[in-house]
Amino acid sequence: MATEEEYDLVTIGAGSGGVRASRFAATLYGAKVACVELPFGFVASEEIGGAGGTCVIRGCVPKKLLVFGAGYAEEFADARGFGWAVAGKGGEGAPVHDWASLIALKDKEIQRLNNTYGNILKNANVTSIEGRGKLLDAHRVEVTAPDGSVRVLKAKQVLLATGGVATRIPIEGAEHAIMSDHALALPSLPEGPIVVLGAGYIATEFAGIFNGTHRHPVHLLFRGDKVLRGFDEECRDQVQDNLVKRGIHVHAKCKPTKIEKRGENDLLLHYTDAAGAPVTLECGLVMMATGRKPRVEGLGLETVGVALDEAGAVKVDEYSRTNVPGVWAVGDLTNRINLTPVALMEGMAFAKSAFGGELTKPDYRNVASAVFCQPPLATVGYSEEQAVKEFAGNIDVYHSRFKPMKYTISGRDERTLMKLIVHAESDTVVGCHMVGPDAPEIMQGLAVALKCGATKAQFDSTVGIHPTAAEEFVTMRTKTRRVPATGTSKL
Amino acid sequence: MQVAAKLTASGLTRQCFRAARMPCRPRRGLATRVAASAAPGEYDFDLFTIGAGSGGVRGSRFASAYGAKVAVCELPFDYVSSDTKGGVGGTCVLRGCVPKKLMVYASEYAEEFKAAAGFGWTLPTGAISHSWTAFIDAKRKELLRLNNAYKNTLNNAKVTLVEGRGKVVDAHTVEVDGKRYRAKNILIAVGGKPTRLNIPGAELCITSDEALELPACPKKIAILGSGYIAVEFAGIFSRFGSEVHTCFRQPTPLRGFDSEVRKFANEQYVAAGLHLHPSVNPVSVQRQPDGKLSLTVKAVEGGATTTLTDLDQVMMATGRAPKTQGLGLEEAGVTMGAKGEIVVNDFCRTNVPSIWAIGDVIDRIQLTPVALMEGMAVAKSVALSQPTKPDYWAVPSAVFSNPEIATVGYTEEAAAAEFGDLDIFTASFKPMRNTISGSPIRTFMKVVVDANTQKVVGMHMVGADAAEIMQGFAVAVKMGVTKADLDSVVGIHPSAAEEFVTMRTVTRKVRRNA
Repeated sequence: MATEEEYDLVTIGAGSGGVRASRFAATLYGAKVACVELPFGFVASEEIGGAGGTCVIRGCVPKKLLVFGAGYAEEFADARGFGWAVAGKGGEGAPVHDWASLIALKDKEIQRLNNTYGNILKNANVTSIEGRGKLLDAHRVEVTAPDGSVRVLKAKQVLLATGGVATRIPIEGAEHAIMSDHALALPSLPEGPIVVLGAGYIATEFAGIFNGTHRHPVHLLFRGDKVLRGFDEECRDQVQDNLVKRGIHVHAKCKPTKIEKRGENDLLLHYTDAAGAPVTLECGLVMMATGRKPRVEGLGLETVGVALDEAGAVKVDEYSRTNVPGVWAVGDLTNRINLTPVALMEGMAFAKSAFGGELTKPDYRNVASAVFCQPPLATVGYSEEQAVKEFAGNIDVYHSRFKPMKYTISGRDERTLMKLIVHAESDTVVGCHMVGPDAPEIMQGLAVALKCGATKAQFDSTVGIHPTAAEEFVTMRTKTRRVPATGTSKL
Repeated sequence: MQVAAKLTASGLTRQCFRAARMPCRPRRGLATRVAASAAPGEYDFDLFTIGAGSGGVRGSRFASAYGAKVAVCELPFDYVSSDTKGGVGGTCVLRGCVPKKLMVYASEYAEEFKAAAGFGWTLPTGAISHSWTAFIDAKRKELLRLNNAYKNTLNNAKVTLVEGRGKVVDAHTVEVDGKRYRAKNILIAVGGKPTRLNIPGAELCITSDEALELPACPKKIAILGSGYIAVEFAGIFSRFGSEVHTCFRQPTPLRGFDSEVRKFANEQYVAAGLHLHPSVNPVSVQRQPDGKLSLTVKAVEGGATTTLTDLDQVMMATGRAPKTQGLGLEEAGVTMGAKGEIVVNDFCRTNVPSIWAIGDVIDRIQLTPVALMEGMAVAKSVALSQPTKPDYWAVPSAVFSNPEIATVGYTEEAAAAEFGDLDIFTASFKPMRNTISGSPIRTFMKVVVDANTQKVVGMHMVGADAAEIMQGFAVAVKMGVTKADLDSVVGIHPSAAEEFVTMRTVTRKVRRNA
């Protein structure tokens, strides 16, 4: 017979949002909290997850470590211009990368972090319960442990924070493709080319990772006309130019139709090209980075009547409440802005709303983000196109496009792009974008300025730090263009 | 006093505004000279600038853009400066910021190759070597390119460039190698130069100019000093594999910086392999029979002496002084300060109304972007008749040592003196890259908050990418953001910078009346 334990809060999912919400509900507001999470493993499934969630185990963190690893390829190439004798890629005496070593090092670090997350919950007096959680009703969560035993937790409030999962596109032979989870757990890279399908941040990041570490060609193939839909158009162009310059074979306007397995690590990708003609591409590995969806299955949502939105995410109001009183949801499961720091913000706001006695809305304005393609992109605020649609008046666009100092000596033919989007009438900086080395680090402080309503004059009055790339952002004096805006928002 | 405190906060302390507020002290009994005999309209130029470095070029080209007729004179080009050698671009471009940064980049590769092994890379033994001369050649090529680019900038801005040594004859006359020019306004932007300590063997030592032009990487080097130049070169040579000894008078390096930053940086320098010799005064430098050098230092406390032997180089990085000798300024009645710096008011104007001075020569904040700001202000004052004061609040700066340091606003000490009650937030962690590479270097971040207004008055960081990270925060600090503003910003993940917006717990409360 299942026993019932009673909690103020039961959280299903110990990822970024779930852990943040759980520990602050417990430490700040004295709630009695239990957090349910699947047993740890690198590749997620209906039975496998782990404390830390996607970000720590199979997202942000391992991705960044692999980007670091791949990034050394750039350093080896660029060092020559600075007097270093380093043999070129593939040449005799050239530095050689061993994928398995990198994965082993990554695994060790992830396991350490998974452990740390376990301790975080413990130190916050949150009861960690290993197993698969499911709503029986708005105040009861059934947990099935790995050994099959079942227990029922009674909860005054329930927080759903089960995140999302990678998805495949439904083409013939899709099962022969891997997704990001598997890519991060590959024991070795295959002989032969690697094809990444997709054009979002995951696809471009992995294309860069493979490009830096793989001995054979890397292809990026997608249906749209350019990578990174939704980002500022000029930034999209710059990222795509950079991918090509780095030697990645970019196939735009191409529709994959079938993956044929001819043998172990021997695949044939079928696709139609921009003209609609059928093409095949021999490769050793196909990775689908074609999307992620909220993990709503097996949670008992239909039973309890928790509504989903049209995109299949758990529907919540601005306070992260579902339509069922007492049931809340945060993070990728709600598909608002799928970023760890946003899940953290949602988790904090939830804890305050549910237990701090103060309904608190997360603030989604001016959330900065980065894509760790190589070189990376970072952005905060409106793209040029979004600003033109949103505001009334005029949008002034400022550019700086330059070769970073390092590249003038190293000989790398790449430019950094920086853009400021300014609402002309109010002189408010509404968007800030960069494609180039260190963009993510540079953008954080600028995001603070933007969030606080900085004007172009305030940017310009700030003295630069020299020599840096970042100082360009406070020295853009000449407007590139003024675009009449078509929206109605005033500042 | 408030202004002086703000300058202190920048970490590059100069009590210069005190000097500006002192009454003009006539030199040798001569009164301030007023405009000489020629009537207006008889000037060759509206503005004549002496010195085509960061400040001089900026001031000149913008004054020209604003409609003034402008000339600038500069010494002939050489990599190493002297009384007769300089070059368009000035210290920053030719023997400061730019070549220093290139050298930092070159040296960082050594560290990257080591770190790469931690990320699955195998470097065949003996596969990687460095050619010092190849690097110096590449650096020289870039400097020549920039020198040329700066000349083009002046040309495109229709500024007349005169090569030679400029000297002020009177309030409206500049002489360059014997030829005289009449100018409505004169801008002095001659910058500074490294100083040498007056100890026996000083002539055997190099300064930063020579350090950027060495024929080979020293295997063992002693660096005298602990300011930004000393620690930057210490990091450079150390990364290249030199055994580096840094000798300085203070107990920790980087006087003027926040004391927690100094302490933390000290620890990281040691972890990075520098041999630090604090609290010593240099006594003498000797040439050994085998041609190498020895350096004798004496402890500040107790006077015990130590001699470092077998040094390939001894570098003096003990300060820089304004390059005002032989400029004719005293004769023209311009008030000078104790260090030879030119005394100017809030508008960068000397006591002689037609003579202005900017950049390192006025010894305020010796940074290129500050010289640029001062140059712009003078250009507006002179050419647009819009008197403009440079604004020295929240000037950020960076030290490109190993690891980097960056700062904006008040140190804790200066903030405590200015505001009294403070909330201090600190964080220290090993950056993600180093957890894998095995490097022992850690990162430190600090936010200084005025407890009463909750305004962020100072931000400091020691760690990789500090300089790039701090720029955006400098905009925020200059705007006057509060701690709550900082905390309301969503982080960019994963980055080091996001730590600055996630420091929730006060580390320490400083209360004046505790």
